[in-house]
Amino acid sequence: MNIGVFVCHCGSNIAGTVDTEAVAKAALEYREVVFATDAMYACSEPGQAGIVEAIGTYALDGVVVASCTPRMHEATFRRTLERAGLNRYMFEMANIREHVSWVGKDKAANTRKAAELVHMAVEKLRRNERLQAGEFDIAKRVMVIGGGVAGIQAALDCADGGLEVVLVEREPSIGGKMSKLDKTFPTVDCSSCILGPKMVDVAQHPNITLYALSEVDSVDGFVGNFNVTVRRKAAYVDWDACTGCGECAAKCPSKKTPDRFNEFIGLTTAINIPFPQAIPKKASINANACIKLTKGKCGACAKVCPTGAIRFDQKDELVTEKVGAIIAATGYDLFDFTKYGEYGGGRYPDVITAMQYERLLSASGPTEGHIRRPSDGAEPRDIVFIQCVGSRDKSIGRPYCTGFCCMYTAKQTILTKDHMPDSQSYVFYMDIRSPGKNYDEFTRRAMEEYGAKYIRGRVSAIQPKNGRYLVKGADTLLGRQVEIEADLVVLAVGAEAARGAGELAEKLRISYDPYGFFLEGHPKLKPVETNTAGVYLAGSCQGPKDIPSSVAQGGAAAAKALSLLSKDKLASDPQVSGVKLARCIGCGKCESVCPFGAIEMIEFRGMPKASIIETVCQGCGVCTAACPQGAAQLRHFTDNQILAEVNALCL
Amino acid sequence: MASSLDELKTAIRKALPGLDVVIAWTAGPDALSHAPLFITEEADVARIEWDPRCSQNLAGYLPGLRGKKAGIVAKGCDVRSIVELLQEKLIDREDVVIFGLDCQGAVDARSARAALGSSRGVRDVAIDGASVCFSVNGEPRFFSPGEVLQSKCFGCAGADAGLCDHFAGERGLPPQFGNPPESTLERLEAMDMEERLRFWETQMSRCIRCYACRSACPLCVCQDHCAAQSREPHWVDQTDHPREKLMFQAIHALHTAGRCTECGECERACPMGLPVMTLKRALNRRIKDVFDYQAGIDPNQTPPLFEFREVETNIKEREW
Repeated sequence: MNIGVFVCHCGSNIAGTVDTEAVAKAALEYREVVFATDAMYACSEPGQAGIVEAIGTYALDGVVVASCTPRMHEATFRRTLERAGLNRYMFEMANIREHVSWVGKDKAANTRKAAELVHMAVEKLRRNERLQAGEFDIAKRVMVIGGGVAGIQAALDCADGGLEVVLVEREPSIGGKMSKLDKTFPTVDCSSCILGPKMVDVAQHPNITLYALSEVDSVDGFVGNFNVTVRRKAAYVDWDACTGCGECAAKCPSKKTPDRFNEFIGLTTAINIPFPQAIPKKASINANACIKLTKGKCGACAKVCPTGAIRFDQKDELVTEKVGAIIAATGYDLFDFTKYGEYGGGRYPDVITAMQYERLLSASGPTEGHIRRPSDGAEPRDIVFIQCVGSRDKSIGRPYCTGFCCMYTAKQTILTKDHMPDSQSYVFYMDIRSPGKNYDEFTRRAMEEYGAKYIRGRVSAIQPKNGRYLVKGADTLLGRQVEIEADLVVLAVGAEAARGAGELAEKLRISYDPYGFFLEGHPKLKPVETNTAGVYLAGSCQGPKDIPSSVAQGGAAAAKALSLLSKDKLASDPQVSGVKLARCIGCGKCESVCPFGAIEMIEFRGMPKASIIETVCQGCGVCTAACPQGAAQLRHFTDNQILAEVNALCL
Repeated sequence: MASSLDELKTAIRKALPGLDVVIAWTAGPDALSHAPLFITEEADVARIEWDPRCSQNLAGYLPGLRGKKAGIVAKGCDVRSIVELLQEKLIDREDVVIFGLDCQGAVDARSARAALGSSRGVRDVAIDGASVCFSVNGEPRFFSPGEVLQSKCFGCAGADAGLCDHFAGERGLPPQFGNPPESTLERLEAMDMEERLRFWETQMSRCIRCYACRSACPLCVCQDHCAAQSREPHWVDQTDHPREKLMFQAIHALHTAGRCTECGECERACPMGLPVMTLKRALNRRIKDVFDYQAGIDPNQTPPLFEFREVETNIKEREW
């Protein structure tokens, strides 16, 4: 075998702390290495051309590139090899950037370590096989999990692109957080006026199947062939029969049901349609509040329903959908501000969240758009807004900036002035973060045209005083304490990962950060991909995002799914496990450890043997560790290849 | 024990017509350890022996007899190996008849021979409370249990008669011997890493690579396909060096992690007297800590390393 070694400088990224020339020289001493050189940027056009040329000149049949992580450029160099006529698996990468130059400063030690990593790669490459990818059929369908604005955008784009879409939404209606907003920054246009038509498009699109009041129960399969089981929760209403007329809600005697959609500042009925523009516009029963379901008596809704759609005996239903790609767009939830004692810990009725305030501003909200204090229904005059409640605070485990609160607070001060010209808004802030198109101009307008008083500092306490609240805080710009008497306090609560995000990530087998936000494939270059093929991200599930960014990501994720499913077949990864029948004793240990159910026991000449279902195998290697006699081997990562690497390092 | 033996013989005679073979012990060439006896005819039943010299764990023969109806005579510790084989579906419960015995301790032939000076003339062995009595040419010679019994007897949990089809003798209470002798594991734990490595280098330099430890292990299911003798994969090479020998022991220990019932067959079989079970005991201790699991207790459990759970109770991966 003729092996060529290319040691990349990565500019000064590697060459700064590794003697790349010495590494190349050392590589010439390794077995079967016939050519070694260093290169400024191996991944660049001239760098790749150099590899192609050397393959021809030195009749190379295997290449080692010592550079960055394979996550970054393995695919790049494999394509280079293919261009030069070599099998793509006759390639190994030694990571001398993330594993060497970026983590060590001692040039001599770094050079030694880099040479050892190259040695290991050479020894592995000597045992590489020319693997060939197979092909498998794919389902040209997409599941979008979450029907907020990001999920809606992703679903519509996929559906317009010709894919069948299954949209799964946990709540009774799609629309997400955006459907609760009154107006949107920085244009102050009506939220439901711009979202509503999109929601209607979802309902009417022939390619979209909508499962509202549903959650993902389990996910099996792999890219191109996921089987997702969806739990359609009991609405206690036959949605095929329900026309959304609302007669049931009008007659429901259980009128003191906490109103989820209105952020619990209003009351609703046990059976209801969450809001007028709801999609699907179908009634559902809150089983905890329904008199019939809790006490066995009533049934008023069933009596008035003109289509006889009420089903008190309805049960959750599981449906399984086969899809080729999954887009997670599960959004965010609001931080629970009651953790903060200084803001009353939830004991003061007129200390509310910004989302509750949004419902007060909304014409379809519980006060029909009139700003009223929850405690006594009086119109407030002095309103204090407190920013960064549950953002940028390590002490409560929320060190990150939610990013959009500065903007919505500015919007709310503007709306407040519009609703009540005599009112005065005060904003306690840490920094104003408004780096978007027309964003900073917008916050300035709130201050300069709408007279919101911005105070840079934190609030230390809120105390009730004569039916109002005394807000005590610091003005750090003037260096003094301030006290403001307020009728209403609005907390700019930050975003946190949606409830159950971690569990969903486990089902989807995607990574998530310590806060529960899903991890993108690469923070810059793969913002909507995940490390699980065929699973994409859109919107705030990946990190807090405003509406424009969520919509953009929804479109981006749809583009990824469309390009994936534009092919009729996908290439299967040949780096999967294989069982040598002659060595297999049929003990079945591999079968019991396989996390993917990719191993079946077969009978071969009367003996039990393990057999890998190659399209299901994910190449994790658990079976190879469990197989005591080494009959199960992961192709491209066989025991002997790993042992050769260890021996290169240790012997 | 005489009555237990009669009870056992009666049970075997009764069951034998329905079985292809019954594995028991009989007097062998060594007066300090009885040899296995494969009974296919009633006449052989008379040759069965049952006393503290029945040290060998016979469970290892069962996987090879799969497909046949086999009876097996088993001490409490041997039953744990059978349970493990059942758990791993290496034998079928309906094909195995277990004749359980009430055991009060088993002789370690190597240390007994050293204590006695020779195994010649040993006619009988009896355990009576705090002492072990060897009848040598009619003369009784007494030793403390720590001198002549297998070390596993000191951690004996007794016999679980419920797992046996027949049970001879009083039902399974473990013997009480007082303080166990210091184990190799305890000695190793008192050493630092360098000393431990030197300890193993010294021990392994004596290993003759006969693989008796493997052949005796009732859970070494690979046998002819052992990774130690394979080139593909090539885990162990033929260099005569403690490194390769210890590598094999490490492989054996990993393959039996969470399965090994510490029956002691590996050490009993080792012609060089190497403390090879120590590695398995050390791993078992970790398995107990991490998975709260002990091998060979419940036939319906799965050894923790043979199942895949997304979240392990005691591994707080998300809190790392």
